[in-house]
Formats: sequence, structure tokens, C-alpha cells
Amino acid sequence: MFRTFLSLRYLKARKTNWIGMAGILVAVGALVLILSIMAGFLEESRRTLRGNLADLVIQPSFQSSVLQENGDWVPMQTDVERMLEIIREDPGVAAATPQLQWYGIFAPDGGESALEKPMQDAIQLIELVGIDVEGEGEATDFRESLETEFGKKPGLGKHCNVGRPADLDDPFVNLREIRQRRTRPKVPILVGEQLAYLWGLRRGQEVSLVTATYDENSSKLNETAANARFQVVGSFRSKDNETDSRRIYMDRRALADFLQRDRLWSAVLVKLNDYKRDKEAVRARLWSKLHAEGFLSAPGIRINEFRTWEDFRATLLAAIQNEKALMGIMLSLVLVVAGFTVFALLSMMVTEKRRDIGILCALGATPRGVLALFLMIGLWEAVIGSAFGALVGVLGAYNIDAIERKLSSTFGFQIFNRDIYLFDYIPAEVSVSGVAWIVGGAVFSTLLFAAIPAWRASRLDPVEALRHE
Amino acid sequence: MTLPSDGPIPTGSLPGGSLPGGPIPGSTVPSGQLRTEPVLACAGVRRSFPVGERRLEILHGINLELRAGERLALMGTSGAGKTTLLHILGLLDRPTEGSVYVAGQDAWSLSARRRANLRNEKIGFVFQFYHLLPELSALENAVLPAMIKLSRRAFRSNRAEFLDRATTMLTRFGLADRLGHRPSQLSGGEQQRIAIARALLLDPPILIADEPTGNLDRGTGEKVLEILLDEQSERGVALMLVTHDERLAKRCERVLYMEDGLIQADSSAPIPT
Repeated sequence: MFRTFLSLRYLKARKTNWIGMAGILVAVGALVLILSIMAGFLEESRRTLRGNLADLVIQPSFQSSVLQENGDWVPMQTDVERMLEIIREDPGVAAATPQLQWYGIFAPDGGESALEKPMQDAIQLIELVGIDVEGEGEATDFRESLETEFGKKPGLGKHCNVGRPADLDDPFVNLREIRQRRTRPKVPILVGEQLAYLWGLRRGQEVSLVTATYDENSSKLNETAANARFQVVGSFRSKDNETDSRRIYMDRRALADFLQRDRLWSAVLVKLNDYKRDKEAVRARLWSKLHAEGFLSAPGIRINEFRTWEDFRATLLAAIQNEKALMGIMLSLVLVVAGFTVFALLSMMVTEKRRDIGILCALGATPRGVLALFLMIGLWEAVIGSAFGALVGVLGAYNIDAIERKLSSTFGFQIFNRDIYLFDYIPAEVSVSGVAWIVGGAVFSTLLFAAIPAWRASRLDPVEALRHE
Repeated sequence: MTLPSDGPIPTGSLPGGSLPGGPIPGSTVPSGQLRTEPVLACAGVRRSFPVGERRLEILHGINLELRAGERLALMGTSGAGKTTLLHILGLLDRPTEGSVYVAGQDAWSLSARRRANLRNEKIGFVFQFYHLLPELSALENAVLPAMIKLSRRAFRSNRAEFLDRATTMLTRFGLADRLGHRPSQLSGGEQQRIAIARALLLDPPILIADEPTGNLDRGTGEKVLEILLDEQSERGVALMLVTHDERLAKRCERVLYMEDGLIQADSSAPIPT
């Protein structure tokens, strides 16, 4: 009984113990706050980095044959309908759609002249993506990228003269004013918002696209380059800068025509019901099924054939994750400093309280009881300090945006520059398990630091201790 | 009935004590006094301390018995080893050689925990410098032995009883209006009365007092002593008192004189001049 009673009494009576508690509070509060902000950044960045990528992207290598488990070579299958059928059968799959992807050169002022006198400021390498509007909308954030309100983010939107397509359900329909002209309408395209902005594109403008096609039978590049005029009918904003500055969407068949290609697809995009939970399981299942049917090489042989969206952004995601881990490690050092404070304060206390320790021994306290008494003082400091620290950290994380705005307006300079990021608020995501780990770690490390002076106290010779004045 | 002077000793009630080892050679009990069982005893106790490469021997083989209800004064010059002996008898210090028996149990053969329990339940200490915990009130200081003895749950269920016991004692000692005071707010005499209440809270059979009035003025010392001796006789506690005060020693049934780490004289024998 005396351990709890006395430890609380010492804690209350000796204000110096509060310094240790305050140290733990600051350390835990900072850890919770910073890691919540980093987690928010990571989550927000994941959304941003993802852009219009689908959960899973299957890109067959289109070799002539596939080696099966039994050692037989079977011709590689290219029937996309059969492939979609297999994919859609999987219980984890929500939607799947084919896509045709190729690369080209964007030359707004005319393809031939651009190629005759190639100048870097007149052309740009671009990604040509042929889609089925409905399927794309189901499997990716395509629809959302069309709906994005321009001008929400300061700076860019208002300078983009293209804007949303006229009909969101059928974005590749040519504009009415163009349809009314007598001339043969050009193939409508949707350009990324950044691309439109950089090249000063206007709605309805005709642009040239140049590409090299290849002969599917010989798999050789055709010497003749495809060159055609297209009509800008709208722009999109996918959150991913890279996509928005180099991607052009058009109808899948129109792209195949442009490329003079028989096969209308190069990839299948898959959306899962629960990406986080099922991604690996579905990938494994689909890969082996598609391999068995001759669509893909054996699982793991050509990893590019079957990727999650995170595989495409692995480096950037790892970088942010890494930053979070580094931040955690650096801030844990603050916790170590707080632990040292507790160690120093308790050591001082043991020296000051030597006589009390002697008295307790004379009254029948065991060395273990004395050890527990001082450990308990450390425990209270850790528990109270980290509980308040966690509270401060969580409240801070939930209100970080308001706090930053208040601080910025008070001090007259912007702490968080919202123009740098694609999100205009400071994201924070509080994870209950994360907070629990931090609090647990703080309590554990404080107890570890408290253990040394507590052990010293328990080893004191009561006779020596009683003589202490 | 003759007693073996050494060798394995049967336990049980023995004339001259139930201590293992029988009556301690050299121990003295005044003739004619009722021989009750010793509650505290030591046999062949030596205590030395390392000083450089040599060892300085403070106690040279002490044999002592303290019986229930006995009032014993330990006198001697400074450095004679009185306090060292007191610490050894109070189980605070381990003898280099020899044994200490508390209520018939060889204390140093027990585990640290059981020895601490023995100290808690059987021995009450009153120190010269009171030794109260400064962070606790008078009442809290007085009930501290109960807190140490009991688990939280056990203390909670008996809290009222212990508080009542301590309050009654402190009231009897004239401290009814000082219960909530901290030691720093109290006089020396008041603090020592709290220390006496604390020592008696668990009704221990042994009370060890190390110059309990040594730090008090004469008048206050007298009052504190009255309380101590009254309680001792009323409760039948064995009292072992270290003192330099001849007047105080005269109020004890037995007086032992220590010199150079040995008991040189017993009050049953003529006091050396």
C-alpha cells in the first residue's frame, strides 16, 4: 500500500518531478503531432500520387508464346473479352476495363513542320491513352478527374482555357460548334490540365500528334510515322502533376485507328472491392489463372505484367514512408532526453531521500518495496506525462490547420505554403494504434530510466541511510 | 532440567527461553526475576567494518536476552558500540558473526522479505532524531507501519481501524489538534510523540529506542519519557533503550554497560566506578 500512497505523495509534494512529467508531455505530444501530420501527408500524397491509376494494372508482354508449368509452350492469348471475363469472375474485383496505351509527340503547331525542324520548345513527349469512357470511369478516378472544379486551387485553373468537356457522360463527343461546321470533324481528345496550361491550349483547338507505329506481325517499327490532327474538347485534372502534364485521352478505337493497329488494347485496369485487404490475394489468384489460360507469363517472371498502382509509385511512396520513419526516430530522441530528465530527477531524489529510505526499511519495507516505490514515481510521471502529451498531440493534429493559420497571421509569415502542394490544407491522420505505441514506448523507456535510481535506492544500506542528514 | 549449551536444540518452551541454542552463555538475568521467554536475543554477535586493508571490530561477541515486558537500558561511552548493537538487534544491520533471534526466529536465516516482515510486526523503533517522513502528516506518519504491512486492498478494508487506533494514541499523547500537521510544523517533543505512536501502532512486542530524549530539552524529554514508559508498561512491551542519562537508566529494570564492544557490566552486578 505504501508504494502507491508515498509515490503519489512525493510526486505531489516535489514540484521538480513535474519537470520530468513536462518533458514526457512535450516529447509524446510532439511525436503524436508530427507523426499524425506525416501520416496525413503520406495518405494525401498517396491519393495525389495515384492520379488516374487503377488498383491493378495488367500489361501482357504480348510474346508469341507462354511457357506453361508442364513445360509446354502455348501461344499467348490476346482475346481481351475472355481476359475480362476471367478477371470479373474474381470475387475481389469490382470492375475491369481495357486500355490502349502508346506514346507520341505533341506538336500543337503542326506535326510535319515540327518533325522537319525539331525544336524542343515546339514538341513534347506525351502518353496516348485510349479508353472506354464507361469502363474507365468504373475502374479509375477518370470521371472524378473530369468533374474537378477548376480554379479551386489558386493559380492554375483560372489560366486554363480548356475546361471540362461539354458532356461528362460522353466526353469524346465533338463540340457542338465544331459539329455544325461543314468540315470533317477531327478526333476529339481530352488533355491534361497542366498540358493545356503549358501550351496555352483553347477549347476546340486543333493539335497535331505524331507517333511511330509498329507492325504487330513483325513487331518492328513502321518507318512511316502516323500524323494526324485532333480536336481538344476538354481537359482533366487527376491530382498527379506528371499525368496532367503529359497524358492525352481519346477513344480506344480512335487511337487504334491512329496507330493503324488491329489489337485494340494493351492493358487491363482492375478496380478491387477492398484494395488494402485483397490486393495481394487477387493479384496472386488472377496471375495464376491468366497464366494458365495463356495471357501472361508465369507469376513473378515478368513483374511488369501485373502491377498494383503502388508499384508504379514505389519510389515516391517509399520516400515519404522513409521520411516518416526518420522523423519518428529523431523525435524518439526527444523521448530519450525526457527519460534522462526523469533519471536525473529520480537520482537526485534518491540522494535527498536517503534518510526516508532508511526509515522505511526500519519500519519494515523490503528492498523490493523501496524499488517499487521509486519505479512507481517514474511510472506516474510517464503515465500522466504521456497521457497529457497524447491529448495535446491528438488535439493539435485535429486542429493543426487552424493552429497554423492562427500562427501565420500572428507572426505575419506563412508557415505552411499551400501553393507548393496539391492540397490546400495541412493533412493529419491520427492513428489510435500509433498513439498507443508512442504512449507505450514512452512509459517503457521512462521506466527503464527510472529503474536505475530505483535499484540504487533499494540497495541502500538502511543504517547508512538513517545516518544521512 | 538441564539444558544443552550447544548442539541442536529442541524447540518449545524451555526454562530460560525457547531460543535455539538455549540460554545464551554469558547472558544475565537478574536472580529472582520471573524468567519469561526472550522476545529478542543475540548470541555471539560480532561486527567489524573494513578500514583500509584491516577490519575494525566494533562488537566483540555480544550475548543478550530481552524478555517480554522487560525494560532494559544500554549505557556506555560514545563509540562503545551501543548504536551498532541496536541496529543489529533491530535487524537493520547484519552481524559479521553470531545470530539474532526475534520471537524465537533466527532473523538472518530468513529471506529478506520475511525479515522485513519481522521488523515490521515485531519491532518498533524510536530514534533520537524522530525520523518522520516530512511529506506526511502526523496521522499519516503514525499509520505508516500499517501501510507497509498490508496490501492496498487489506489496508483499505482496515483503514478506519488503523486511523482510529493512531488517532486515539495521538490524542492520548496530547496531539489531538496536530493530526494534520507536517513534521516541520511541529516541535521536537511533538515529533517524538508521533514517532512513539508510529512505533506502537502494530503492537509490537519489542520497542527499540535510541536516545529518545537525546534531542529534547529536559522538560520535554521528561514528558516524552513518561509517555514512552507508560505505554511500555501498559502494553507489556519489551523496551531496549540506549541512553546516556543515568536518571533514565535508573527507571529501567536492567542496565547494561558497554565498553569497547563488550557488555562489561549488568545492573545485577555492581556498577563499576
